[in-house]
Amino acid sequence: MAAPLSAQELDPLIHVPARLRIVATLAALPDGDALSFPRLQDMIGLTPGNLITHLRKLEEAGYVDTEKTGNGSASRTSIALTRAGRSAFETYTEALRGLLGGL
Amino acid sequence: MNGQNHTHEPVAGDDGGELDPREAAALLDQTTRGARRRLDPHPPLLMFGASLVILVAYGTVWLSVRNQHPYNGPTPTALAVLYSTIAAWATFVVVIRKRATSGISGRSEMRRRREGIAFAIVWAVVYVFQGALHHAGASHAIVYGIYPASAPLVIVGGAAATYEAAREDWEWAGFACAAVVLGAVAAYTGPASVWGVIGIGAAVLLFARAGTRTWLHR
Repeated sequence: MAAPLSAQELDPLIHVPARLRIVATLAALPDGDALSFPRLQDMIGLTPGNLITHLRKLEEAGYVDTEKTGNGSASRTSIALTRAGRSAFETYTEALRGLLGGL
Repeated sequence: MNGQNHTHEPVAGDDGGELDPREAAALLDQTTRGARRRLDPHPPLLMFGASLVILVAYGTVWLSVRNQHPYNGPTPTALAVLYSTIAAWATFVVVIRKRATSGISGRSEMRRRREGIAFAIVWAVVYVFQGALHHAGASHAIVYGIYPASAPLVIVGGAAATYEAAREDWEWAGFACAAVVLGAVAAYTGPASVWGVIGIGAAVLLFARAGTRTWLHR
């Protein structure tokens, strides 16, 4: 029988309220779609600074991909979950489910 | 990134503090449901609205034709109600869909455009074919009764059923198939009754679909 999971085994990059909400929101999009920065901010309800900080951490881990198009006031940033990010999110939800089933 | 001038704002408690697995599960569930609801281009509200629109539009036409012997077709007033309610609903659909899809880019944006073009062509063909029936001398009962009431459901519904089945979206494929069956069966009720049968049948179908989606997304 497999040993029960502990909370420490949950991906620490996702297991944080703000980043969990970011990743869950991006995972609700169909594969191959991206969300604009303002829309993501509106849906998550974080300040731009907080959102940028969390997105940087996720980007460094290869979980999200940000793409900037245009210049100046016409610039637009889109954020998408990478394949690695989607896979990490699925692993996280599975681990969470297993953990709660074991509690 | 947008808003880069805000990067010096503090991040609350770095990562927001300890997260209990139960809290994480609740947050995950709440966020996922909220995101799906806000990104849904076919919210239940739209379908509740559509059920009311089709009931009013087809019901008005049925009231104008139900005592016609022989059948002449809907009165200009009934047609005005039919087209104005459909136009108002189409505007509402565009507004809701724009709101749901704002800020989304990528593969589904392209897919929606192609989808829109293909379905616009299918809709146009329904009315081109109606012109051909008129041109060939078909009776008023066919050209202004059975065909315009049932053909949109059978033709557009058939295209939608095939498309949704190819995408393996069985909920929508089933709904589209039900619309096709309704259109085909209602056509047997005659040029006047077909409006009433489809008005009630489609309103029930849409209401049931909206109810199912509300229940699934609760």
